[in-house]
Amino acid sequence: MVNPYDKYAIEASVQLKEKFGGKAVGIAMAPPHAADALREVLAMGVDEMVLLSDPKLAGSDTLATSYALSVAIKKVEQRLGSVDLVLCGIESSDSNTGHIGPEVGEWLGVPSVSYVDRILEIKDGYAVVKRLIEGGYAVMKVKLPAVFSIAGTSYQPRIPSLRDVLAARRKQIDVWNADGVGLDPSLVGLVGSPTRVVKMWRIEIRRKGKIFTDSDVDVAIEKLLNELKKDGVPLGV
Amino acid sequence: MSNKILVYIETLEGLPAEHSLELLGKAGDLAKKAGLDVGAILVGYEVKSIAQELIYRGASEVHVVDDPRLGSYNLLPYTSAVVDVIKKTEPEIVLFSATVIGRELAPRVAARLKTGITADCTDVDIGDWVDPGTGRKYEKILYQIRPTFGGEIMAAIVTPQRRPQMATVRPGLFPIPPRDESRTGKVVEWSVNIPESEQSLVEVIEIKREKRKVDLKSARVIVSGGRGCGAKGFELLRELASVLNGEIGASRAAVDAGWIPYDHQIGLTGQTVKPDVYIAVGISGAVQHVVGMKDSKIVIAINKDPEAPIFRIADYGIVGDLFVVVPKLTERLKKKS
Repeated sequence: MVNPYDKYAIEASVQLKEKFGGKAVGIAMAPPHAADALREVLAMGVDEMVLLSDPKLAGSDTLATSYALSVAIKKVEQRLGSVDLVLCGIESSDSNTGHIGPEVGEWLGVPSVSYVDRILEIKDGYAVVKRLIEGGYAVMKVKLPAVFSIAGTSYQPRIPSLRDVLAARRKQIDVWNADGVGLDPSLVGLVGSPTRVVKMWRIEIRRKGKIFTDSDVDVAIEKLLNELKKDGVPLGV
Repeated sequence: MSNKILVYIETLEGLPAEHSLELLGKAGDLAKKAGLDVGAILVGYEVKSIAQELIYRGASEVHVVDDPRLGSYNLLPYTSAVVDVIKKTEPEIVLFSATVIGRELAPRVAARLKTGITADCTDVDIGDWVDPGTGRKYEKILYQIRPTFGGEIMAAIVTPQRRPQMATVRPGLFPIPPRDESRTGKVVEWSVNIPESEQSLVEVIEIKREKRKVDLKSARVIVSGGRGCGAKGFELLRELASVLNGEIGASRAAVDAGWIPYDHQIGLTGQTVKPDVYIAVGISGAVQHVVGMKDSKIVIAINKDPEAPIFRIADYGIVGDLFVVVPKLTERLKKKS
């Protein structure tokens, strides 16, 4: 499946393309079977899709992943001309690091801004963005090219129509491997990853998950209060 | 020879941020375990006066970059300053708070140093590790502990070879170390190399920030409202909160809509809370909100969307229209008490 947080970035890219022209190219790094899920990205309006896929990439941590993606971005640049903007979701829904945006920015040697709520303007080689900060917003003018991680819900992902879905079938998904993009194999996979996961353990799911769906609200409330009482939750009841 | 743990200190109006002090305290515990010193990295303009406070809070050395080019936070120049200090001081471990700033500055610094970093740790510890591939033993390294795969699995991660070992650590998890004016330490000022180009790539045009006056940290019960509430919904929440002797919280969406002041915001860009009971009303449960409340003892969710992610982390929930459920619940609780 496509990371739900990426959908905001996908939506942003399509809206920017609609407003300013240009081309939206999706890049994913995943095993080959991900291609099916990427149809959805194309259906949302992205023009073409690159799937970077290679066993050599397995075990990459964020430093190695961001390196691989930065090389793929440069490859896109060679093929299609300059890349003005790289957008990513604020984080993935499984590992939630939020590191890929800033680290791709560093590998590419361009500015990065995380927690971008909205891209207000693109003009004369600059973007003006509104980003979330503690307690409010900052508005910043950023020289392009740049990497933005889109957070917040300002770009609500569109639901593709049947026509969009059908059109997406005709669009292209290029599958690239490590050699094809010219990756340095010592910088990817386990060898290229400074971190090691040394232990994993399941934690008890502490949440009780007692959800009441009764259409009669009074019934649901009685059930809730009964359960709270039974479980000894201090609600002043 | 590197022999220290450094903590990156965020500042707010001339004071160290609370989460930075928490982290300094935790780093002090780690330092004892690992036989290292604990220090701080303090970057900004006219921040030098904060250094003494950091010593009172446990830092034995404070590395200060006080530079007019660093007057307001700007990612690239700050990256260069922090990287420069790390290169000069060669710390074993560098820790950042997992805040809006920490979560972009730390990975940028790590990528420039080509070292590893773990995001959003809920705990950090010191331990040994034997690489099963090579048999090589690494002593007293940083265990970076965090939830993964949606939170049901915990992972311990290490950075065996490269230095520094880096992590961002969630705020609100550790106590603020007590202030002790008898503590002494050294303050080292560094001048750093910031490429000219980095200063002009990003220009901060405007900052809009509200100051926080309400502290929700000690609240036992929090009734929190989100996008689904509207200004009217918050009136209902206030009544419920008053019956429960609780405080009012909010998601960012509700604050942005102007229904409630920023003081009440919970989440990544607001406060981190862990009350006995957290009642989330009309809150979908976006990750930015959840990080601020997921350590609550009991979570009760009220939302009309049965698919809302908040139900996945709730102990109890009612699927229904909050404008019906909340007044009825309030009435019912009034009757009982």
